[in-house]
Amino acid sequence: MDIEYPPEAEAYRHEIREFLQSALPDDWQGMGALSREEAAGFRVRWRKTLAEHGLIAPSWPKEYGGGGLTELEQVVLAEELARAGVPEGSENDSLGVKLLGNTLILLGTEEQKEHFLPRILSGEYVFCQGYSEPEAGSDLAGLRTRAVLDGDEWVINGQKTWTSDGHLANWMFVAARTDPDVPKQQGISFILMPMNQPGVEVRPILNAAGYTAFDEVFFTDARARREHVVGEVNGGWKVVNTLLGFERGVRVTIDAIRFAAELDLLVDLARERGVLDRPHIRSRLAWCHSRVQLMRFRGYRALTKFIHGGHPAADSSISKVIWSEYFQRYTELAMDILGPEALALAGQGSGGVLVIPEAGTENSVKRWVDVALFARAATIYGGSAQIQRNIIGERLLGLPREPRLDGGPFAEIHRRSA
Amino acid sequence: MYFAFSQEQEDFKASLRNLLVDQMPTSRVRESFQAGYDKGLWKVLTNEMAITGLHLPEALGGQGFTYQETALVMAELGRCLAPVPVLATNLAIEAIRACGTPEQQAALIPDLAGGERIGAVAVAATRDLEPATATVSATSTSDGPVLDGVVPLALHGHVADLLVVPAVDGGAVRLFVVEASAPGVAVTQLPSLDLTRPVSEVRLSAAPAHRLDGDGTTTALERFADGARLLIAFESLGAAERCLELAVEYARTRHQFNRPIGSFQAIKHLCSDMAIELDASLGAAMYAAMTADEDTDEFAAVAGLVKAQASEVFTQCASYVIQVHGGIGFTWEHDCHLYYRRAKANEVLLGDIDELRTRSIDGIPAFATA
Repeated sequence: MDIEYPPEAEAYRHEIREFLQSALPDDWQGMGALSREEAAGFRVRWRKTLAEHGLIAPSWPKEYGGGGLTELEQVVLAEELARAGVPEGSENDSLGVKLLGNTLILLGTEEQKEHFLPRILSGEYVFCQGYSEPEAGSDLAGLRTRAVLDGDEWVINGQKTWTSDGHLANWMFVAARTDPDVPKQQGISFILMPMNQPGVEVRPILNAAGYTAFDEVFFTDARARREHVVGEVNGGWKVVNTLLGFERGVRVTIDAIRFAAELDLLVDLARERGVLDRPHIRSRLAWCHSRVQLMRFRGYRALTKFIHGGHPAADSSISKVIWSEYFQRYTELAMDILGPEALALAGQGSGGVLVIPEAGTENSVKRWVDVALFARAATIYGGSAQIQRNIIGERLLGLPREPRLDGGPFAEIHRRSA
Repeated sequence: MYFAFSQEQEDFKASLRNLLVDQMPTSRVRESFQAGYDKGLWKVLTNEMAITGLHLPEALGGQGFTYQETALVMAELGRCLAPVPVLATNLAIEAIRACGTPEQQAALIPDLAGGERIGAVAVAATRDLEPATATVSATSTSDGPVLDGVVPLALHGHVADLLVVPAVDGGAVRLFVVEASAPGVAVTQLPSLDLTRPVSEVRLSAAPAHRLDGDGTTTALERFADGARLLIAFESLGAAERCLELAVEYARTRHQFNRPIGSFQAIKHLCSDMAIELDASLGAAMYAAMTADEDTDEFAAVAGLVKAQASEVFTQCASYVIQVHGGIGFTWEHDCHLYYRRAKANEVLLGDIDELRTRSIDGIPAFATA
C-alpha cells in the first residue's frame, strides 16, 4: 500500500511545473485575481499556449493531435493546472475536447474523426451539450426534442435547457428523439448540429445567484447533416452514457486539492473576523478538515482503480454526493462566520463560475455569498443527489428499482398519463 | 501508487471471514452474553490463526506483518461482534510497546501475542491519561510501586490476566502493569451497554505494580491512544459494513404495499447513505493503518480523525439498520441492537467524535488562532 506517484509521473510533474513557471508571469496568483476583461483575454492567450505545448487534448491519442498521455500523466497535469490556478482550456473545452472528443475517438466514424477532431482542437468548433430539456431533467431518456430525416438532413424541433456556456458555442451535440414508437431509451440519436443557423435560438438564463452561466436553446426546423449522427441511428442512448463516462477519471484527485485551498481561505476568513477560537465555529471547521482529508484519501483509492483498470459500480455517484454536499456545508459555514456582514455584498464576487471560484479570487463577502448561492445548484446539476442515491442503491447495492410507469413505446407514455 | 489492500491481504481477510462465519454465527455470540468471552474461539484465533499482535516483530511473538493486517483482523471481528478479548489484549500490547523498555516488552508481550495470557487496559476516556483527572495514584515503596484508586472501566477486564493501568506518579501520568491475581486488585464485571464486550471496574488498594519505564512522555501515551483509536476504527468500519449488508438484505426481501421495501426511495436512500459514508471513510482509515508502521507524525495527524469518522459511520449504520428493519429491529432477538450497542460504546472510547475532530486541527499551524 502506498500513495507515492511513480518516478516517471513525478518527472512529468517536474516538466509541467517548469512549463508553468516559464509560461506564467512571476506574480501570478490565479485567474481569479484578474479583472473580467483581463481574464477573458488571458483565457484566449492561455489556450494558445496550451495548444503550442500539445496540452489541449492530453487524453487523445497522438494520431488525432492529442497529447497521448498515460492516465497518470493526465492526472498529474490536471493537478498541476489546478494548483497553479489556470484553466485546462477554454470554457467549452471540457465539453468538446474531453467529453465529445473522447466519445468520437471511441464511437465515431473515420470521417467524423477526420472532420471534427482537428476543428475541436483548433478551437474552430466550440461545442456545448444538448441533453437536458424542460420536461427531461432527471429523466433524461424522456427527452422530447424531435429529429426527423429529410433527405440528407435531420430536421430538429424542440428545446434544450441548462446548456452550460451555450452562448459561447457554435456547435452542439444533441440527444434527440428519432423514433417515438419504441421504448424511450431505444429511440434516441446523438447528433452533431451547427448552431449558427436560423433555426437555432440561444437565450441566456439568469440563475438564482444573479449570473448567466447557462442558456436555453430553441430549435425550429434546425438542420444537421445526416452523417453527423454518432453511433447508430436510434442507438444514441449508449453514446449519451459513454460520453458521461468521460466525466470521471482524471479529476479524481482534484476535489481534495481545490477544497483544501478553499478551506485555507475559510480559516483565514474566520481568523480575520475573530471567530476562529469560538468552539462552535472551530468544531465545524474541524469537520471540514476531516471531510477534505477523507476526499484526499478517497482520491488515492479512486486513482489506484483508475490506473489499474476498473470502474466499480456507482463510484462517480459516490464522489458526486460527497463533494456536492460538502460544497454546501462549508459555504453555509462561511455565511455563519460572516454573520450579519453577509447581508451586504461587499467586494468582488466569484466571477459566476458554478463551482469553486478561480484561485486568486478576492476573499470578500460577495465571493462567499456567491458560492453559498451557487452551492445550491451543486446537488442538482450533473445528476441530482437523489438520482445519485438511486444509482448507488440500485447498481452498487442491488436494491430493486421502483415499479416503472414509463415502459412501452415513448409516444404512449404521455397518452397514458394524460 | 497502489492505495489498496494487496491480494495477499484480501486472501487473509477472506480466510478469516470464512472461519468466523463458520464458528461465530450470532446465535453463538448470544451464548456469551454473560461471559462476554468465548474461550473456544479465543483459542482458535490465537493458537491456530495467531491473530493477536500480528503486526509485532517475531522477536516479540508476532508474525512480522503490519498494522494493515491487524486492522483487517479488527474489521472482521467487528463484523461478527466476536466475543473475544482481542481488542483488549491488543491495547495492552500497544501500551507496553509505546511505554515499556525493550526488556519489559520482551518479558510481557510474547505471552499476550501468543494468546497464553489475556491483557486489558484500564483506560476508557482521554481524561484517564491526564494528571488532573486520572483516578489512580502510584506510591513508591521499598518493594516497588503500589497503586491505589478505582478505574471505572476496563474493556474485558474481568477475563484479563494482566492489566495496564494509568496512574499519577510524580505529577505525570505513567502506565503501570498489574497482575490481575495480585493482592489488592479487585476486578468486578459491570452490567454493560455492550453485551458482546462487557466492562469491568478495577479497584486497587496498595496493589503491587511495575511501571513501564521506557518512554514516559505524553507523546508515548498519545501514541498508545492513537494505536488504540486505529484498531477501534477498523473494528467499527467492519461492523458498520455488516449493518449495511443486513439492511440491504432485509430491504430486498421484506415486502410491504406488494413490493420490496428497498424499491422505495425512502429506504433505498438510507442504504445509499450508509454506503456513501463507508466509502468516504475507508481511504483515510487505510492511510492511518499504513502510516502506523511508517510515519509517526502522519499517523498522529490522522488517527484521531479516522476514529471519529469510523465512529460516526458506525453509529449512523447501526441506527439506520434498525430503522430499515422497523419494529422487528427493536426486538431483543434481532441482532440490530447488538451493533447499535457496540457503536455507541466505541463512539465514546478515547475521545468522542467532536473532541477528536477538533483535536485534529489543533496541531495544524494553519488553524492557529493568532
